[in-house]
Amino acid sequence: MRILVVEDEKKTASFVRKALQAEGFAVDVMANGEDGLLAAAGTPFDAIILDIMLPGCDGLSVLRRLRGQKNTTPVLLLSARGEVNERVEGLNLGADDYLPKPFELAELVARVRALTRRGGENRPVVLRVADLTLDTVTRRARRGGAEIELTAREYRLLEFLMRSADRLCGRMMILEKVWDYDFDPGTNLVDVYVRRLREKIDANFEPKLLHTVRGSGYVLKETP
Amino acid sequence: MTIRARLTLWYAGILILSLVVIGIGTYREIDEQMRHGHRRAPTGRAISETSEMVLQVGLPAVVLGLLGGWWLTRRSLAPVKKLTAAATQIHERNLRDPLPRTRNGDELDQLTKVFNDSLARLDDSFKRIHEFTLHASHELKTPLTVLCGEAEIASRDESLPPAERERAASQLDELRRLARIVDGLTLLAKADAGQVALKLEPLRFDELVHEAFADAQILAEPYGVQVELAGCDEVSVRGDRHRLRQLLLNLTDNALKYNQPRGGVIMSLLRSGDTAQFTIANTGAGIPPEILPRVFDRFFRGNPAHENTIEGCGLGLSIAKWIVSAHHGTIRAESMPSKLTTFTVRLPLDTAAKPA
Repeated sequence: MRILVVEDEKKTASFVRKALQAEGFAVDVMANGEDGLLAAAGTPFDAIILDIMLPGCDGLSVLRRLRGQKNTTPVLLLSARGEVNERVEGLNLGADDYLPKPFELAELVARVRALTRRGGENRPVVLRVADLTLDTVTRRARRGGAEIELTAREYRLLEFLMRSADRLCGRMMILEKVWDYDFDPGTNLVDVYVRRLREKIDANFEPKLLHTVRGSGYVLKETP
Repeated sequence: MTIRARLTLWYAGILILSLVVIGIGTYREIDEQMRHGHRRAPTGRAISETSEMVLQVGLPAVVLGLLGGWWLTRRSLAPVKKLTAAATQIHERNLRDPLPRTRNGDELDQLTKVFNDSLARLDDSFKRIHEFTLHASHELKTPLTVLCGEAEIASRDESLPPAERERAASQLDELRRLARIVDGLTLLAKADAGQVALKLEPLRFDELVHEAFADAQILAEPYGVQVELAGCDEVSVRGDRHRLRQLLLNLTDNALKYNQPRGGVIMSLLRSGDTAQFTIANTGAGIPPEILPRVFDRFFRGNPAHENTIEGCGLGLSIAKWIVSAHHGTIRAESMPSKLTTFTVRLPLDTAAKPA
């Protein structure tokens, strides 16, 4: 897996590179839009992380030209502005994801992972992690033969966590996908919901499936 | 009363006064002539002759004068009217277009020039605010991104002693709070400069309230607070879904944080005339009347004792107030010490939507 990072801020580029490399990605870093475009034209990347504020040709123009050249590499936009309009504009131009700065590294890595897996994902009707199952048609959750009562929101949260099983789900990502929030509400909404969900699916069962990744988010997986 | 009506009235008064003066003068003249025996006439004749003269000659002259005065004031005030019409069209996006000038150098032309000059200055400062907020958020967020990234790496670096990892994690928490404050400030600064565009659409406000109620029940658990939805009428408003959800969440969060243990929160949504009225009341310590008007101020915290125990960015209610005004609504806080503290939001109903 090879990732192109187009970011002019050296320190940011440096720790993004390190974090991705630590997860086994090969990383190329370009410091401006023109170089980014050249690199994207010459090498097939699995995903591109593109900062919007770049000297010269800005990120949105790079994206426009990239899509104009029929390059369909998944693109994740980074922005220091965090404006709703900018996000909408970016997604309309063909970006696959958008993350406002400052972001959590673990969240960035999780999103890049999701981008590189896109397409190959099958969407089974019954989701399964260990002995926990979730039927997405009847909306029933069961663990160890016992049925688990879920509210609508808990169901959406569990479905999201199970669909991204074994992958870290950052708080912003959960707020976006489960609550459809495009802002950070500054509350511990996610944590409280996860705690409730954990009581329902984990409290009376072994092994524990829903794990907290300190400071970053949550992951649903069989082995800790 | 308009300047024009006032001027005309004064003018009429002056004309009538001069008519009286003319009348007195005429009477004296006629009286004199009669005494000198030029004309023999019975007493009272002088008065009737005078009034005849005044009525036949003076009155038409006064009416003519009034019409002329009316026309004159109208003509001289026309440029003011034009100026007013042009000035009412001004809003912050067309500040650059100056008001039309006659360039004849008269008083009104000079007034227009002064007006245009101050418009240009206003436009300049609006532009500067916009650029400033953009730059400030970028300049602040770039180092914040670096700090957050480095703290996050350190908090997970297995080669560091646990105490240092713990410290990095705690720094990360504070950095994220700082990032939220920067976000909030940027939003408010942009809102001040009229730079935030709302995505207005017809929506069912009661659905958003139901959703906020569901979230509030969950959020209330750690505080041991009971949340109740006293009523929820079906109401449609024209609004920005995300911003209204943010408003409800901010108010909910506030009602929970500033509550007492095992306290209560009561929400309700009522249709009242042509407004949707949302109230959220809590059983907190209450807000003293002298600081009540200030609760929507940025970074204002009612009770200094809370300052260190309640985490927040200090901008939640300011943002709530902005969201409400951007939707042409009103927000009000009422409180009685150690009784209920109530926030009331009124939003205009969507008149285009069919009644529920």
